[in-house]
Amino acid sequence: MNDTIPATPDVLVDHLFRNRAGQMVAYLTRLLGPEHLDLAEEVVQEALLKALQSWPYSGIPRNPAGWLFRVARNTALDAIRHRTMAGEKNIQFAAERIRDAEAVVQSNSDLEEQVRDDELRMILMCCHPTLPRDARVALSLKTVGGFSTREIARAFLSDEPTIAQRLVRAKRQIRETGITFELPAGDDLALRLESALEVIYLMFNEGYTAQSGEDLVRHDLCGEALRLAKLLATSPVGTPQVHALVALMAFQAARLPARVDSAGELVLLEDQDRSLWDGKLVAMGFHHFSECSEGTYLSAYHVQAAIAAVYAGTQETKDIDWSAILSLYDQLMEISPSPVVALNRAVAISKVEGPQSALAALRPLSEDRSLRNYYLLPAVQGRLLLDLGDREAAADCFRQALERPCSEPERRFLKRKLAECSIAENI
Amino acid sequence: MPSFMLLLYGNPETWANFGPEDIQKAIQKYMAWGDKLRSSGALLGSHKLADDAGKVMRGQGKVRVTDGPYSETKEVLGGYYLIKAANYNEAVEISHGCPSLEYGGTVEVRQVDPMDEAA
Repeated sequence: MNDTIPATPDVLVDHLFRNRAGQMVAYLTRLLGPEHLDLAEEVVQEALLKALQSWPYSGIPRNPAGWLFRVARNTALDAIRHRTMAGEKNIQFAAERIRDAEAVVQSNSDLEEQVRDDELRMILMCCHPTLPRDARVALSLKTVGGFSTREIARAFLSDEPTIAQRLVRAKRQIRETGITFELPAGDDLALRLESALEVIYLMFNEGYTAQSGEDLVRHDLCGEALRLAKLLATSPVGTPQVHALVALMAFQAARLPARVDSAGELVLLEDQDRSLWDGKLVAMGFHHFSECSEGTYLSAYHVQAAIAAVYAGTQETKDIDWSAILSLYDQLMEISPSPVVALNRAVAISKVEGPQSALAALRPLSEDRSLRNYYLLPAVQGRLLLDLGDREAAADCFRQALERPCSEPERRFLKRKLAECSIAENI
Repeated sequence: MPSFMLLLYGNPETWANFGPEDIQKAIQKYMAWGDKLRSSGALLGSHKLADDAGKVMRGQGKVRVTDGPYSETKEVLGGYYLIKAANYNEAVEISHGCPSLEYGGTVEVRQVDPMDEAA
């Protein structure tokens, strides 16, 4: 047949098409202009389908990414020619840019560097502050992430038409307000980075809270969030804060295999089997954690990463330095106070000062309306009361927790806790 | 051993909503199936057909040549595999594993006429 290697199913690296699709969309968007983002996506889709239609007969090419890029470029040139003939103005210049771009690339590594830059511009453009936040997330995943509309809908427990509409509006806004592919600078850059980090962390949390047995595409979100954050961190616009976010997410992702046991039941952090933690991700966490300690700006991500680092660096539960964790939560409350942070801080207080102090710290939170539907507040209160031996009050709390929304494994966890209250009573 | 031609008809509607990840999974399935054919020695050849429609020639009295077939038709003949198999049933057995069937397509299995086979 053609110039192909004997193909085995393993030859295509995980998510190769998804990652390369993201790169190609970014690359073409730079050459065609953000107002032609739709066209860039169409062209990339066509290139991937061409691979599907020919590789089964010819085998996987020696350089799959190179093949895809070449076909995408040619498909783009065809599309431009058709549109020009159909009378569309202002698109002819794009063909020149595509041909020039091809001439400039001397080697594969030149291309790699160029597309890394394009991806960076793409994620920053998608996180433009005038775009609604939901749109920033969806657009980032669709374009640079290479996720399909259907995958995004599943990942966010939404439906395809809703996501599709969100994307259409976002792209229209980009066209109509003239959002460019230029890298922002100065204050604009700082704001844009904040936005990008927020979007990325949102993506990560969505994936992190996915339970096993649910769509695995949600776990893919964690991987994608990490990839994008690393891209940002190691780029010319990376700051220590970005490294802090990478560290935080790496430490959290490392714990994913230990989060549920073999029966699918939730396992608390302090009870997790550390041997199940992903060593490579823990190492990545520490690497970026040391990178983030440059500079003087202490962000919330820094403190959260530091907390995660304490857990990650401890071999056994009994050795967890809860005083250190408590003082880190004190810092976090100063930088970025929130009821959820207060709740986590109370857990640390309970380890350092005992359940009574922790309950006292939680009392004001019971009034907080924003925690009305948050099952963890009464759940934590219940645990503390159980520690103190007040089974009746603890049972009340767990019952309260069960009235609030939570996932199936969380529900089963709460029921077990409730049962513990009455079992102890019967003794 | 007799030869068989497997004609693979694809269904473009199926890939309309495919994302990059779906496309990669589909390709990997084709690779796996093709590898089995290759390693068992059954595969004689495979080719993709060009996307541009060609000509359709009809002989009805005189030869009429028209453009076509068009890809607007529901199923598009994408390519073929030429395989060796002990008999027609085995060829069908092999074709069961063709991913086109999973993606709403069709596989037509035709024996190469034995009189036509080279010794």
